[in-house]
Amino acid sequence: MNPEVHIPGWEWYYVAMYFFIAGISAGAYFIGTLAELFGGERHREISRTGFYIAFPLILLTPPLLIADLGRPERFWHLLFYAKSGIPYMNFQSPLSVGSWALLLFGAMAFLSFLDNLVSEGKLQSAPFAKAYSRIPRKWYAVVGSIAGFFVAGYTGVILNVTARPFWVATDPLVGALFIASAASTGAAAIYLVMSWRKKLTDPGLPGFDRFDRLSKVLELVLAVALVLIAGKWAAPLLRGLNAVMFWGGAVVLGTLFPLAAGWYATRAVEGRMPPERLATVMAVLVLFGGALLRISLLQAGQVQ
Amino acid sequence: MPKGMFVDTSICTGCKACQVACKEWNALPHEPGHFRFDPVEKRPVAVNFTGDSYDNTGALGATDWRRVRFIEQFSEDRSRGRWLFSSDSCKHCNDAGCLNACPTGAIVRTGLGNVFIRQDVCIGCKYCIPSCPYGVISLSIATGTVHKCTLCNDRIHNGLGTACAKVCPTGSISFGEIAELRKAADTRLAQLKGLGYGEANIYGYKEAGGLNVFYLFLDRPQVYGQTESVVVPQRRLPVSSAVAIAGALALGGAALVSFRERGSRPEDGEEVKT
Amino acid sequence: MGSNMAECHPVAFRWPLKAKTEHGAVLMHVDPRFTRTSALCDIHAPIRAGTDIVFLGAIINHVIHSERWNTDPFFREYVVNYTNAATLIAADFKDTEDLDGLYSGLSPDGKAYSNATWAYQREKPPAPAAQEAKTFTDLLLQRIPGRPKTDPTLRNPRTVFRILERHYSRYTPETVEKICGCPKEKFLQVAESLLNNSGSDRTSNITYAVGWTQHTVGVQIIRTAAILQSLLGNIGRPGGGVLALRGHATIQGSTDIATLYHSLPGYLNMPDARKAHESLKDFILTEAVPLSTSFWGNYPKYAVSYFKAQFGDAATRENDYGYDYHPKITGDHSHMPMFIDMAAGKIKGLLLMGQNPAVGGQNARLQRKALAKLDWMVVRDFFETETAAFWRNSPEIRSGELKASGIKTEVFFLPAAVVAEMEGTFTNTQRLIQAHDKAVDPPGDARSDAWFSFLLGKRLKELYKDSTHDRDWAIRNLLWNYEPDAAEAAEWRIKDEPSAYKLLKEINGYTWEDRKPLPSFANLKEDGSTACGAWIYTGVIPEEGKNRAKSRKGDDWMSPNWGFAWPANRHIMYNRASADPSGKPWSEKKKLVYWDPAADSGTKDPAGKPVPGKWVAPSGEGIDFQPTKAPGFRGKDNGLGFDWLSGNDAFIMRSDGKAWLFAPAGLVDGPLPAHYEPYESPVKNLLYRQQSNPVAKVWKVEGNPYHKVADPSYPIVISTYRLTEHHLTGAMSRWLPWLAELMPELFCEISPELAAERKIMNGEYVTIRTARGEVEARALVTRRMQPFLIDGKTVHEIGLPWHWGWQGTAQGDVVNNLTPLVGDPNVSIHEGKAFTCDLRAGKKGGRA
Ligand SMILES: Nc1nc2c(c(=O)[nH]1)N[C@H]1C(S)=C(S)[C@@H](COP(=O)(O)OP(=O)(O)OC[C@H]3O[C@@H](n4cnc5c(=O)[nH]c(N)nc54)[C@H](O)[C@@H]3O)O[C@H]1N2
Ligand SMILES: Nc1nc2c(c(=O)[nH]1)N[C@H]1C(S)=C(S)[C@@H](COP(=O)(O)OP(=O)(O)OC[C@H]3O[C@@H](n4cnc5c(=O)[nH]c(N)nc54)[C@H](O)[C@@H]3O)O[C@H]1N2
Ligand code: SF4
Ligand code: SF4
Ligand code: SF4
Ligand code: SF4
Ligand code: SF4
Ligand SMILES: [Mo]
Repeated sequence: MNPEVHIPGWEWYYVAMYFFIAGISAGAYFIGTLAELFGGERHREISRTGFYIAFPLILLTPPLLIADLGRPERFWHLLFYAKSGIPYMNFQSPLSVGSWALLLFGAMAFLSFLDNLVSEGKLQSAPFAKAYSRIPRKWYAVVGSIAGFFVAGYTGVILNVTARPFWVATDPLVGALFIASAASTGAAAIYLVMSWRKKLTDPGLPGFDRFDRLSKVLELVLAVALVLIAGKWAAPLLRGLNAVMFWGGAVVLGTLFPLAAGWYATRAVEGRMPPERLATVMAVLVLFGGALLRISLLQAGQVQ
Repeated sequence: MPKGMFVDTSICTGCKACQVACKEWNALPHEPGHFRFDPVEKRPVAVNFTGDSYDNTGALGATDWRRVRFIEQFSEDRSRGRWLFSSDSCKHCNDAGCLNACPTGAIVRTGLGNVFIRQDVCIGCKYCIPSCPYGVISLSIATGTVHKCTLCNDRIHNGLGTACAKVCPTGSISFGEIAELRKAADTRLAQLKGLGYGEANIYGYKEAGGLNVFYLFLDRPQVYGQTESVVVPQRRLPVSSAVAIAGALALGGAALVSFRERGSRPEDGEEVKT
Repeated sequence: MGSNMAECHPVAFRWPLKAKTEHGAVLMHVDPRFTRTSALCDIHAPIRAGTDIVFLGAIINHVIHSERWNTDPFFREYVVNYTNAATLIAADFKDTEDLDGLYSGLSPDGKAYSNATWAYQREKPPAPAAQEAKTFTDLLLQRIPGRPKTDPTLRNPRTVFRILERHYSRYTPETVEKICGCPKEKFLQVAESLLNNSGSDRTSNITYAVGWTQHTVGVQIIRTAAILQSLLGNIGRPGGGVLALRGHATIQGSTDIATLYHSLPGYLNMPDARKAHESLKDFILTEAVPLSTSFWGNYPKYAVSYFKAQFGDAATRENDYGYDYHPKITGDHSHMPMFIDMAAGKIKGLLLMGQNPAVGGQNARLQRKALAKLDWMVVRDFFETETAAFWRNSPEIRSGELKASGIKTEVFFLPAAVVAEMEGTFTNTQRLIQAHDKAVDPPGDARSDAWFSFLLGKRLKELYKDSTHDRDWAIRNLLWNYEPDAAEAAEWRIKDEPSAYKLLKEINGYTWEDRKPLPSFANLKEDGSTACGAWIYTGVIPEEGKNRAKSRKGDDWMSPNWGFAWPANRHIMYNRASADPSGKPWSEKKKLVYWDPAADSGTKDPAGKPVPGKWVAPSGEGIDFQPTKAPGFRGKDNGLGFDWLSGNDAFIMRSDGKAWLFAPAGLVDGPLPAHYEPYESPVKNLLYRQQSNPVAKVWKVEGNPYHKVADPSYPIVISTYRLTEHHLTGAMSRWLPWLAELMPELFCEISPELAAERKIMNGEYVTIRTARGEVEARALVTRRMQPFLIDGKTVHEIGLPWHWGWQGTAQGDVVNNLTPLVGDPNVSIHEGKAFTCDLRAGKKGGRA
């Protein structure tokens, strides 16, 4: 490993935030799809919430991605070869494939979003509404989910497939970790929206809770494994602000604490805080942890 | 027929003429941050004095496409001591991490084998920067794009050699066809071994698919700051992707068990409609 | 030794490197520091600055007592035949061995030597050949001295060899260790390598530059090397020699064409009001008689042709060819005394073309203050150098010591053209004259120095043309005809640039009658029928329109058709010595010039039969000897020049045809080099009671204080030097960002040992102080610098590259604020390589 490999200089407030928001969006979307796919109509509300979340959030991401470019006005070169205008993809470059995946995901998320509106009757007047509701929503939801997993995961693979020692040392776990984190943050977002929409009596919730716990466990396992496999190269994650963000933020606040709180909420019958309140706070913490996870891993690879 | 350069560090005098020639031919600016006006001293003060031997360049980058490394090694009592020089640049790898990483096709390999960044295509996404295993490329704030040695693309496609090789007073850098350069390098290596330089070696025959700019070192490449086991990042892509997919599948599994689970409290909801 | 060739002559250094890597040559570097040159050498021997004579003297001692030198017949044959080893020295000569570091002949005030006792013992003078002296040559012929007495067995204690042997007997490996601080083993490694790589089959070369010259004993260091190389048979032979690496491009040319105050072009002496130089005859007698038995026997021809070139038709036999009107010197007008005079207000105006003394001059504070005493100063340069700007922003102005409004010096800053903007020639280190073309016109008002001088001359001549004063004769009659032909200027915007061809033709020489260029200095006459600017260059334009400086045909050895090596295209001086006394090559491998007994000499004997035998050089090398003088030829006792020299007198410029181990004349500080400490030194001279060069040039004037010997306030030795990345005062590098950024700031090289002692951290600021001034620099702590153990005591040495000043992109303190004005007595060069100082952490004035 060569410490002389240059730092790209990706700004956390653009790039890590892009990773984070895209992760929530993708996570919400695939949870929605999986819930409906595996859990059927009982989870319809969860799936609908996921689709409501995914699209607006993913709309936020291109500006972040583009803002970090040296030449933002040329962002379209990511999809079309500048010299010929022909669509372009470099299969060896997760960034290139990921750009297409993002586009695809965005499109599917849009369709699902539209479907939500149509099925909730909010677009009744639209002439296409009738026709639209006839398209089986699961088809594009599945395609969108695969793209969503890709979007959540490639952001981690991007980091691993470089020559920066920290990212090389944490290879090949960051992609999987980001996917797990996408699930936990996506779930947190869904929970928050549902609580806001006063849907906390939804029948899908228990299954949803279980899934959420499992994804947090997976995230926790991956996070610890990542530090272990990195060995001495994990140093940037064990010092200073990065350590605080990663251990304190991503691991403790983002996974351990919510897991423990969940356990506590089910056990201790009468807590001082109503369980819904506690769950809401935890969801916020999970989101917070998800952001710090991205920031810390991005920054740890960019320490001199 | 690919072209490249052979850098024989055993006859480099560390004069940095190659660095200057590179900047001159390629019209690269001097590092703008190097001289800052100091209000106390009331004069420009250099900020790039490194105190690291005679190297005040520090690293390759967008405005420093070539850099001479100075390696001082002396035993405490100076009974053994040496000062090694080695002029470094982009290696024009045959399996180039930078080129593989570029999402826009801005980095291309020309007919002469050199790896070239098309300035009008690059969007400044910076992905190639950490993807180069040698730390060669960096972003220029001035252009918003990344830059590195072009192997003097304009010169070599017009029948000239590279500027740095042309100016090198000792012939430490030579430009030519890879096959011939390799022949010369092998001869030189044998000659040095004959003179008792047992550790002498050539760096760049195998690394990263073969380097079009390769080196003769008198000691292990590590001593000269070159990684001995180069892994081109993209060669790790299959495993990275597989693990990510496995992660996705695991979540799929988790969803399966979670959402399928029966025994939810009956008062909580209606029966499943299908 | 005394040169950092890889850094200061990087292009030339490719050749030693090639010798090493392709032919297995051993490269050795003797230098206080481990430099980029040391890095590429096989051996680096560190020595304390200013102790080279001890090191070299000990090699001499080692060589002449070595088994190899005493058993291999080559050495003895070379030394007895080609050097003055066998010559007997005057009985009353006393050596440093007798006088504890002094030679006989020191004046009672101790300031100067008379060399009378250093003379050869001679036979009775021959009967003069010419009866009546009609010409200067006849005059010389009447004064031919007797032949030097010799003892070829070298047994006589008055032979040079025995004196030398005794003189160097105290220079031992132990003294090297004690005085130079170089480990004995390292020294012996160097001495043995040098010895083993010399002989009939092998040659070694010693290369030096200003690491040797900038000392109060600079000339004597070089002399020591010359003695050593003569003893090893390494002179006049391919691969041998003592090579000076010169400084600025064509600085060799500028000494040839005499920018030195005390010489005329071609190394004739300058007419001097203090010497018996009343008339041309006196001048020639004074200067040429001592040299008349060498090739300098032609002195009158060179001198008269020079005056003819100056004054043309106005130069006649009757008016001594204008000799009286030629300027004469009245003292030491070299750089340092000139600035001391300037500081004393004795100099009114200064023309500076291509010099930046505000940075490059020793004791630069004093020199800058001297500039403020001028009425006017013209600076021609590309950049507003520190010298041009001294009046408005020098450190003295900034500190308030001087006020810009108080400086009356009127400064004229004129833009100069750079080399690519003019046509001309370079004469570099190896005496090779090479022409370069003009590539573009200079921009705007920038003009070449030749243009400036030519037009200045024209205007002055115009001003004086009606003068009736005798004192204006010279300016009125000065030949000044370099007006370009229309064709020469056709291509260019600047039409009045003087013709480079005409200038070179004048330097080359031509017949006065029909202005035809001369092919050789053998064609020069003393009767005014030839004009010649500098006899050594004759042949560069052998015929009209042909310029050998432009020839560019190389081959893989001597390349006789690449440029023109003065004199007469000889690349190796004294190359007669590349053959043995009988004219045969010393060895097949080292064959260069040799006597071919069968070759047609082109001459016939009185009976008309062709005489066979001549010197040949298949490589095309110019032969440094009379072509048909047989090796066994015995010179005529009453002959002049070549006639006096015998067939084995290879050293044709010496009055006895021999290489001088012992110099009976020509040096003002002794016939044999002896070790003296630098003028400022932290230690006592451990070899003699005499501490430093007794006749060194010392100026005890205000503003130029010196440090005492072993001064406790200034315990550290300091040396100043160059870096590849910068050029001299930095005017040509600190302004150029690409170069400036490579070495952006002044730094001081310090050993870790000294750094620890003075609590200095790498990269921090340090202040270096002498009685003359202070500078601050970044610390570069490196093992490449080392402390020396001198006679049991640790002596630290630090080094400062001196390229910085307060103008340009990269700025820093002027290192020469530290240096003293003190010089070598022979050539007035300063001692910038070894003086003393103090060092502490932090910036000037105690700032952090
Ligand atoms: N890049 C570059 N090249 C140059 C120049 C330049 O400024 N920059 N300047 C040109 C000019 S004008 C000149 S004169 C030449 C000078 O060429 P050099 O003489 O090679 O240059 P310096 O660096 O002044 O000194 C040479 C070495 O002498 C060593 N030294 C100091 N004192 C002693 C001593 O007492 N004994 C011995 N043996 N060594 C000693 C120093 O450590 C230094 O390494 O370079 C020319 N070439
Ligand atoms: N302490 C210390 N002092 C030293 C030395 C040292 O080793 N130590 N070295 C000494 C030596 S060896 C030397 S040679 C001197 C050098 O001292 P200087 O000769 O004063 O130094 P340079 O920087 O070469 O100054 C030359 C100037 O000429 C200008 N120039 C170049 N070409 C031309 C031209 O064609 N025409 C005109 N008009 N100008 C031109 C350049 O821009 C520059 O300003 O310094 C000496 N001073
Ligand atoms: S050295 Fe780096 S920048 Fe150069 S071709 Fe290889 S990967 Fe690309
Ligand atoms: S910064 Fe430019 S060259 Fe580098 S990967 Fe991105 S688009 Fe390609
Ligand atoms: S090949 Fe050309 S671009 Fe590359 S380092 Fe050399 S001079 Fe610079
Ligand atoms: S120009 Fe040649 S000798 Fe000089 S530093 Fe570069 S490679 Fe080395
Ligand atoms: S600066 Fe000029 S003279 Fe000096 S080494 Fe370089 S090319 Fe030769
Ligand atoms: Mo010089």
